[in-house]
Amino acid sequence: MTDIYLVGVGGQGIITASRIIGDAAILAGKSVLLSETHGMAQRGGSVLCTARIGGVYSPLIPDGQADVVLSFELLETLRAVCKASKNTVVVSSNERMIPLSVSSQKLKYPTLDEVRREVAKIAKEFVLVEASKIAGEAGVPMSSNVVMIGALAGTGLTNLDNKHFQKAIEMNIARNVRENLAAFSKGLDAVSRRNRN
Amino acid sequence: MDRVLDAAPGSKVLLLGNEAIARGALEAGIAVATTYPGTPASEIGDALARVAKDAGIYFEYSTNEIVATEFAIGAAASGVRALVSMKHVGLNVAADALLTFAYTGTRGGFVLVTADDPSCHSSQNEQDNRYYALLGGIPLLEPSSPQECYQMTKEAFALSEKLELPVILRTTTRVSHVRGPVVVGEIVPGPKKKEFAKNPKRFVTMPAVARARHLILLERLQDASKLADESALNRVYKIGAKSRSGIITSSAAFNYVMDAAKKLGMSIDVLKLGFTHPLPTQLIVKFLKTHDSVAVVEELEPILETSIRAVAQHEGLKTKILGKSDGAFPQAYEFDQAIVASGLVKAFGLKGEAAKTVSVDLPNLPLRPPVLCAGCPHSATYYAVNKATNRKAIFASDIGCYTLGVAPPYNAADLLVCMGSSVGTAGGLAKVNDQPVIAFIGDSTFFHAGIPGLINAVHHGHKFLLMILDNRTTAMTGHQPHPGSDRGPSCCDITSVSIEEVVKGCGVKWLKVVDPYDIKTTTDTVKQALTHNGVSVIIARRECALIAKRDQGGAILKKHYIDQEVCKKCRTCVDKFQCPAISSVDKVQTIDDASCAGCAVCAQVCPQKAIKEAR
Repeated sequence: MTDIYLVGVGGQGIITASRIIGDAAILAGKSVLLSETHGMAQRGGSVLCTARIGGVYSPLIPDGQADVVLSFELLETLRAVCKASKNTVVVSSNERMIPLSVSSQKLKYPTLDEVRREVAKIAKEFVLVEASKIAGEAGVPMSSNVVMIGALAGTGLTNLDNKHFQKAIEMNIARNVRENLAAFSKGLDAVSRRNRN
Repeated sequence: MDRVLDAAPGSKVLLLGNEAIARGALEAGIAVATTYPGTPASEIGDALARVAKDAGIYFEYSTNEIVATEFAIGAAASGVRALVSMKHVGLNVAADALLTFAYTGTRGGFVLVTADDPSCHSSQNEQDNRYYALLGGIPLLEPSSPQECYQMTKEAFALSEKLELPVILRTTTRVSHVRGPVVVGEIVPGPKKKEFAKNPKRFVTMPAVARARHLILLERLQDASKLADESALNRVYKIGAKSRSGIITSSAAFNYVMDAAKKLGMSIDVLKLGFTHPLPTQLIVKFLKTHDSVAVVEELEPILETSIRAVAQHEGLKTKILGKSDGAFPQAYEFDQAIVASGLVKAFGLKGEAAKTVSVDLPNLPLRPPVLCAGCPHSATYYAVNKATNRKAIFASDIGCYTLGVAPPYNAADLLVCMGSSVGTAGGLAKVNDQPVIAFIGDSTFFHAGIPGLINAVHHGHKFLLMILDNRTTAMTGHQPHPGSDRGPSCCDITSVSIEEVVKGCGVKWLKVVDPYDIKTTTDTVKQALTHNGVSVIIARRECALIAKRDQGGAILKKHYIDQEVCKKCRTCVDKFQCPAISSVDKVQTIDDASCAGCAVCAQVCPQKAIKEAR
């Protein structure tokens, strides 16, 4: 059983990412439940989705119960640490999207070191992914979400085969399939390589 | 390939709860489907809009929920199957039609989906629409998962035809917006045409007819109660060893019960109700008789709990019934497995750990609430209105993206209750206040519920300015078309209805149309309008920036940048105007190229003319 908590900002392709996980799980013959944020919150607000692979009934992940926090944005990573415990791997994109509250209320956006330090206090591991850069190298700058799916696969925590992820990507991404599969592989390499080091 | 339409019979597909409802309706052979979009119901209509032409059904985004319901009633009374879907508050609008339709009953299967929103994720209240089933004497089904959404939609149509009654299928956000595996069946097209067999003694609800029909409704509810007792949708799940303790639950709460009971290591019998109104009384009596204590676990109102207590009292049962009335479970907000676990611990006096909460001590993180998008024409309108009024006005707002203008720096909403309320409340505000009153309403909302209020204001000479924020779409719920749109769903030939003509037809004498991207003209027009002694209307027309951006393939109108040598760091562009593309970090304001929509409004706002078009 794997509980994945996906967070980021409306418009980052998080629902598509969760669908890829869901389709991959079904292809692997596993039961899966996803919960999604739709509607008002999508207008540039914090967005969260859950993906629970394995025999559960509830789609939601209570605090401290995620196996993986998959974050598409650095500030949202920090906001999501309540879902982590000492058993959790936090995989975070290094992307920063400055919320309006930073400008209008003169609040401070956390530094990478602060995020790393706070996550380390709670989670088992913090894995940083240069998702945007990797997506660009794969020729699909808009596909950071697919890179993050690769990164998730790279943790080895989902117990899903890469071929299931790849097929699920083909099912959910209409254009530039080859480049998106490359984005997946590059995301996967970036994370699985850190396991070998 | 569209998974809702093209998934092969017998295959397992990943579907959103709402998509599973759409698939179930297609397999049930619907002829027509209608909706007015609203979170968390929107994807039912969106899925059907997409496939309507290929599936050979008629689908429409109706003007509002009652029109959607009436249309479906016309079709179902003729004998075809009809689906109408809406968010919970939409049923307040549709209730007038639905409650009397229960008296006439239906010929073809008629299913109304209400998607409730516990915790108000995207809504103005968290009302529990199961009460409508009780209020109207209408059978009620409540799925817990996408598979059940699919299955119960099909069952709902069969039930509706068997009882000749409308049936309510009630979901919540955590049912509609959960995606999971669904094993689908075959789409068997149903009849698309019928001849309406006239029968005024049934279908024309004059008082004499209504009196007679009420008795028939009550008889049918007796039949429905028997069907509920026998229904496979109501069944017992046994967890662990044989137990004298039980739980009765339904909807999303069932899911949390199953996970929480397992986690707590309980041995318990769970009676899951899918067919909840009329109550399967005999089944409940049997369950109460075989258990010493029974917890009722349901989100929001204690509807099952109250009814089950009544059943126990009627039968003289001593079974201990636990629930909200003794404080074990809350009556507000949605549940999750931790809340249910802690409720079960309280209800059954378990020693087990109350769900351990992780306390995370985080620095004060900058919030990221939803905001008006880069290039949003509403931002420009609100900036202009604040400039024109010097913020000395009362703003009656309405439901749509533009409600987000309530936040600083615009503070452009002072009163909001429901769809269309901006126009009605503006009249009352203007009558008893001396400040100018401005009502904001979106184009889709204007068609939905704004027109009667406008006619009322003209007729009674109320004095306020109505601004119709016309972005050519129903943006908040996912860009569905409305009567003013140029394009409709795949199956419809549509005629675009002119807002100007409607406004004039309502008797409005002072009407102007502005482009909100033109700040000066918009500001001046607002000033003029406020001098008019009566109802004035400004249509602020500019296509939703997200649609414009999509249609232009991501290309922007006029890319802008801030010339840092000219910029005096006055912060007008972040303090008085607000755009997600403009950020101010370490006292330096910059425009993010990737998010800039090229609207050029910031360039008009900047007092130093430091914001320039990039070449």
